[in-house]
Amino acid sequence: MGFVGNLGDIFRILKHVFRQVFRRPFTYFYPFEDRPYPEATRGRHIHIREKCTACAQCVRACPVAAIRIDKEDKKFEKDCALYFDYTRCIFCGDCVSACRFEALFHTPIVDISEGDREDLVYGPDKITTLDRDPLEWRGRRFR
Amino acid sequence: MSPDILDEASVIWFGPQHVSAHGWATKLTLVGDYIVECDPNAGYFHRSAEKCLEFRNFRQGSMILERICMMEAFLAEYPYIAAVEKIVDLEIPERAKIMRTIMLEFNRIHSLQFWWGQFAGELGLFAMLLWPWVDREYTLDAFEELTGSRHTVSYATPGGVKYDFTPKFHAKMEIALSRVKERMPVFDDMLAGSPTFRLRTEGVGHYTAKQALKWGLSGPNIKACGIPMDLRKDDPDPNLAYGMIDWEVPTTHNEEHPGECDAFDRLLQRFKEIETSLDIIDKLLPLLPEGPIIDPKARAKVNRLPEGEGYGRVEGTRGVTSVWLKTMEKAQTPWRAKIRGPCFASYYSLKHIVPGARFADFPAIFGSLDPYPGWWDR
Ligand code: SF4
Ligand code: SF4
Repeated sequence: MGFVGNLGDIFRILKHVFRQVFRRPFTYFYPFEDRPYPEATRGRHIHIREKCTACAQCVRACPVAAIRIDKEDKKFEKDCALYFDYTRCIFCGDCVSACRFEALFHTPIVDISEGDREDLVYGPDKITTLDRDPLEWRGRRFR
Repeated sequence: MSPDILDEASVIWFGPQHVSAHGWATKLTLVGDYIVECDPNAGYFHRSAEKCLEFRNFRQGSMILERICMMEAFLAEYPYIAAVEKIVDLEIPERAKIMRTIMLEFNRIHSLQFWWGQFAGELGLFAMLLWPWVDREYTLDAFEELTGSRHTVSYATPGGVKYDFTPKFHAKMEIALSRVKERMPVFDDMLAGSPTFRLRTEGVGHYTAKQALKWGLSGPNIKACGIPMDLRKDDPDPNLAYGMIDWEVPTTHNEEHPGECDAFDRLLQRFKEIETSLDIIDKLLPLLPEGPIIDPKARAKVNRLPEGEGYGRVEGTRGVTSVWLKTMEKAQTPWRAKIRGPCFASYYSLKHIVPGARFADFPAIFGSLDPYPGWWDR
């Protein structure tokens, strides 16, 4: 078996190499594109204040005490302000299943890193709004 | 051991920084290339999980258990749920029982997929490190579709399960399982069919069935010696569906030395575990009835528990996993919780298995026992 004998193997390897080089990569080009998340994804929460009744069931259900409630802060008739501390939250989904008034939901937004610890405490302004559409693919495919 | 041999001995710490030591530390005494003493050290992962359980109510406790062993999160949280269900009388719907069992087996497949890659990686087969992990992504996708989380599923709750199976989940599970079935022969060929791999695992780290029973090993580590010891068969949980179907406990018999096992037998055993899990899921899926997934009174009943003791256990991927709970009258939280992980026994059995082996065989020995630090440092 000389060089000629191995030629077949060399061609097989080269075929694989060329196929992989011109293929679209399996990985995502992250900040510009993202994978689609299922609807059930337990990402950051959204609080719908119109429906909230300030019953504090979500606060009681939380195993890590990540939610703080402020019952004085009222925008509507019986609602309250919620502060979510994402440095503590473990995304277990208990607060959402505890809320019987459909006022608290998870969103498929999971990339919530911040430069400052304080920014991870989502106050009533941040928790009631979404800064971007979570279900769409952002940006473009890299290749 | 004569003292003058020990004069030349060198002591090295395997871990906590070593890449294949997973953050735990084992003190090895070496003479030349041979290990003469092995001293496992638990404690580097201790996070007082048992104490934490005393401050969580009965719906929250399972979240702590999940985080002890991420690879088998649902298998880890289930014993807690089973213990709560022993104390309070709940009626689990048939559908929930079957769904729980399917998810337990699915979780076992996930954990073993991770183990394949990890074990091959520890022995230096880096292609094999990533291939099962690519397949594992499909399994995780199915978990995510059902529960919203990839690892820490938080799926069961006292009285039933939290999320119902959807057609999308069924489709994703189908993809994940067919992927496992398709790739099993490939992995079998890459590991069991590879002469290098066999050289490194055959005859390495062997113990007898008698020793395994004495050390308290369980799960695949004892079934590899040919002892059909399996909780799913020996003590079927009334709230799971293992009794509804016919299935065989997988065991491995080594022809050359019956009643003993080495690292290679333990690998074969884990292949058989996956086959059994696939078989159980295939048999349970057609039995899935329509109906509720949770006892409607569960929420109210679990708020305050009567005085009592509950002991829940399940056959995990690594062995018997159990939780014992003691409650006082009208308890909102357990008075005392005790977690029994399967890996404490397998980690400390290294003390007896390893001496006499070569240093290069050490990863093969502990990798084949599949220890996970969370289980001995709960
Ligand atoms: S998801 Fe879990 S940890 Fe996070 S705020 Fe809700 S209950 Fe607390
Ligand atoms: S979000 Fe839901 S559970 Fe929390 S206070 Fe409002 S209504 Fe109650």
